[in-house]
Amino acid sequence: MKVFMYTLSTCPWRRKTKQFFKERNVKFDFVDYDLAGDEEQEKILEDMLKHTSNTTFPFVIIGKEVVVGYNPERYLELLKKGGKK
Amino acid sequence: MNPESRKRALRYLFQKVIDPLGYKFSPDEELVDFLLEQEVKLEQKHGITYCPCQGITKKREDNMKIVCPCIPFHRKHYDAMKRCWCGLYVHKDVTNPDELRQIPFDEIKRG
Repeated sequence: MKVFMYTLSTCPWRRKTKQFFKERNVKFDFVDYDLAGDEEQEKILEDMLKHTSNTTFPFVIIGKEVVVGYNPERYLELLKKGGKK
Repeated sequence: MNPESRKRALRYLFQKVIDPLGYKFSPDEELVDFLLEQEVKLEQKHGITYCPCQGITKKREDNMKIVCPCIPFHRKHYDAMKRCWCGLYVHKDVTNPDELRQIPFDEIKRG
């Protein structure tokens, strides 16, 4: 199952979110919004605002589902749904 | 002003704003220290203590809503979570911040 996240380098929930997936040996990709260039930031915002009305981070995509915020219960639920034990 | 002094100054200033709103600093001191440090860095970079967990955009009116303490701009949202988005502040009655979750505002609006 593909896991991708938009994060902020200044946000402590970024570390916790990454740690959650690392502990379960789930590979993920991420982009730090605040460290991205102007053009990339525009694209990230465009992508995020398709799913949410706020620019709140972390923004996690598990499979085709989006989870806004650090929400380990929801992450686990989606991983299980995707076949991860 | 060095970062440690600025952190202390921000803490003093923010306390005066959040107290009448019914909030306090999170009892998680490590988290508070980290978040204040990030705010000092954001202030050094942008001149403003933006929330470390919300994205700055090109829209000034949106950016003004994420200046810490941003509680007045997100009252309904934060009151429902009993914390602010980054977790720097919690409701005064909260003793264990680990029990609180980040809930996106769209979910709260839907009820």
